[in-house]
Amino acid sequence: MIGRRLLQVVPVVVLATFVVFGLIKLLPGDVAVTLAGENATEQRIAEIRHLYGLDRSFLVQYAGWVWNALHGDLSRSLLSGEPVADAIIRCFPTTLLIVALALLLSLAAGIPLGMAAATKPGTWLDSLIMGFASLGVAVPNFWLAMILVATFALAYTIFPATGSVPFSVNPVDAIRHATLPAAALAAGGVAEVARQLRSSLVEVLSSQHVRTLHAKGLAPGSILWKHGLRNVSVNLLTVAGLLANRLLAATVVVEAVFAIPGMGNLIVRAAIHRDFPVVQGVVFAMVVVVIATNLLVDLLASLLDPRIGHR
Amino acid sequence: MRVVNNERKLGSVFAPRRREFLALISGAAASQALGLTVLAEGTAKKGGVLKVAAPANPSSLDPVTGGSGADHPFLYTIFDTLIEWDYESLRAKPGLAESWQYPDPNTLVLNLRQGVVFHDGTPCNAEAVKFNLDRIRQDQRSNLKADVASVESVEISGPSRIALKLKRPDTALPLILSDRAGMIASPNAIQELGKEHDRKPVGTGAWKIVTWADNDRVVVTRNENYWKPGLPYLDGIEFAIIPEVQTGLRSVIGGQNDYVYFLAPQLKPIADRAKNLVVVSGPTLYCLQLYFNWSRPPLNDTRVRQAINYAIDRQAFVKATMGGIAQPAAMDLPIEHWAYDQTVARLYRYDPEKAQALLAEAGYKDGLDINMVSYTDQLMVQKQEVIIEQLRKVGINVKFTNGTIAEMSAAFFGTEKKGEALLSAWTGRPDPSLTYSLMFSKDAYYNAGRAEPPAGLAEALDASRREENINDRKRAFATVQRLVMENALVAPLCFQYELDAMTSKVKGYRPNLLGKPKFEDVYLEG
Repeated sequence: MIGRRLLQVVPVVVLATFVVFGLIKLLPGDVAVTLAGENATEQRIAEIRHLYGLDRSFLVQYAGWVWNALHGDLSRSLLSGEPVADAIIRCFPTTLLIVALALLLSLAAGIPLGMAAATKPGTWLDSLIMGFASLGVAVPNFWLAMILVATFALAYTIFPATGSVPFSVNPVDAIRHATLPAAALAAGGVAEVARQLRSSLVEVLSSQHVRTLHAKGLAPGSILWKHGLRNVSVNLLTVAGLLANRLLAATVVVEAVFAIPGMGNLIVRAAIHRDFPVVQGVVFAMVVVVIATNLLVDLLASLLDPRIGHR
Repeated sequence: MRVVNNERKLGSVFAPRRREFLALISGAAASQALGLTVLAEGTAKKGGVLKVAAPANPSSLDPVTGGSGADHPFLYTIFDTLIEWDYESLRAKPGLAESWQYPDPNTLVLNLRQGVVFHDGTPCNAEAVKFNLDRIRQDQRSNLKADVASVESVEISGPSRIALKLKRPDTALPLILSDRAGMIASPNAIQELGKEHDRKPVGTGAWKIVTWADNDRVVVTRNENYWKPGLPYLDGIEFAIIPEVQTGLRSVIGGQNDYVYFLAPQLKPIADRAKNLVVVSGPTLYCLQLYFNWSRPPLNDTRVRQAINYAIDRQAFVKATMGGIAQPAAMDLPIEHWAYDQTVARLYRYDPEKAQALLAEAGYKDGLDINMVSYTDQLMVQKQEVIIEQLRKVGINVKFTNGTIAEMSAAFFGTEKKGEALLSAWTGRPDPSLTYSLMFSKDAYYNAGRAEPPAGLAEALDASRREENINDRKRAFATVQRLVMENALVAPLCFQYELDAMTSKVKGYRPNLLGKPKFEDVYLEG
């Protein structure tokens, strides 16, 4: 299974980078204008286009990028000359830490809430939790981020308002910096986990085999933990996998609010200035991570539910 | 032989100073409200690292290959310029060049300061300066060729003296050499590093580069061998790159950084409310304006362009869109600038009736539609709304098409020629001749229609570069400005103020008229 999945990476990466490259080229505006600076004449802009090979055909430029990428060279930023690989190596850990922390928070808060709601369906507790969950999905994360900053960073200086520290430099400080952004991201995640878990758990708990377990005289706690959760675990895993991928995308906005030099920041600036080597590099890295996440989810799912591996 | 760097002689020519001006526009209270009090109380002391929230990643740290006006605060830390300027009026003063003179109109001689060395130990002598000036003119990657187009050759006429042979008289050169073109880099470093010098610059400045991580941070550390006695005070500067100035301000309020610059005026109330924060502001050359494409109807009619200038209530515009913190603009230079001309400033008082009369005369009695282009950010859209409303009152229906800065400015100035006018900014140049020639010459990129300028403009611009005495130059610029504004080739709206916020331990910072912070005098207290 793993081998087949790894083979899938190749066409997906090629397709994703090709489409993104095409979109950048379709958009009006040109990196040469930015490169030429403020005093630029049309002649100078044309010179720069030639100097950077921007006057070559679309396919030739794309092929050039692929050729270099195949040789392990993600080339350099057209704007600043920084090697794209360096930028990704620097930015990705920051973003991944936030995503991981947000995922952890989503699960840590979402699972108990979902379980509580599922065991008492139709009660006020259930309504309260589900009401909160709807709110969590509805609240825009950038707004929540601002509120969190205003409260926990400016009014009470518990967490830093901006910036990040690499995990490798100082793990404690890194987590302190990542907490508020992760919390802002996690609101939607908590809600989603709680709702999904509740609905699948309610279904399992009202199924015939659970009725049989009750009839056998098993304690309700044991039914919930051993049989209920085990049955919804694959479902939960799928939700977590999708959530991880969504959180990765959502960091674009949250990173801007917290001025975090992560992947989101990197791609936004690159896209605005049509710095395509950087955009391509970020897309490439993101695609690899998303595929890896999906693969991991599938592997875990087949461990949790042996039927999946045999299908 | 005439010497031009004697400042005191020129001092009296000059119009009101910044503080006098503020007292003029809004009473004495303004200077206090705007935080213009001089911060230099106490004695400067050495030590400490200043943490700065910077709004943009540098385009390059090599002055020759970069292109963004936001690079200067970084570049100034690493490089000295041949010529420097006076903070308040932007008049030229000595830098790496101790003095300069024009022995004849086609020669500019620079006498270089002796004993200055680059961060890598290479001496900064006549050879090094010649190497830099030649590189600017010849390197394929140089973005500065146009700046020094008047230079024919550079000759070494002594160990610390060079002569620039000119193709034509060009007295704008000293101030041009106060900008990127005058930032001198180590020839050894450029030869050894090649393109890598973009990221590892070697200059003579008060600080040396440590690291630059894109969109993350730029770190510089003290140059122990700096030639200015006693300077710098700061051991180093850490720039955190935070594109959202609002977030940058939050980082200062939250204590992650000490200093933030280029704040939008709307943020002043927030900065004022924060505890232990000092807000500093001052006028700059950054001019918000409507660029016109005057090559085709309806804006090829001077009366229509004049009507727009009469129809805009600049005071109201400043109040509504800039929180009152900006200087209404009557031309492309602010009151503080040495070449500002008072008579030109009186040309367009807010006069909607006159605007309507001019429109009627031009055949638009029943009004006209004008398509303009601009940018999507919220503050710009707010400005558009005010423009739409003010012009609607005289019968001009404006429709804006918005996009990103790169996209829309390329569409307006480039080959597409989209829109009749562009609401944008002119960031200013150290010498006004650049401002006017870049915007209004026949083939200039910022002359969107590439239309013929009014008769006499080219001659007046030439004169401004031929005259050497600052009074004569001022007169030449008066003619330039009159021709530009009488023909309404542009509608200047207002000059943005530099607005910076810093924690109370940051001392000695002075804003400058170019609006691009220099940190030379800054020190940390406590």
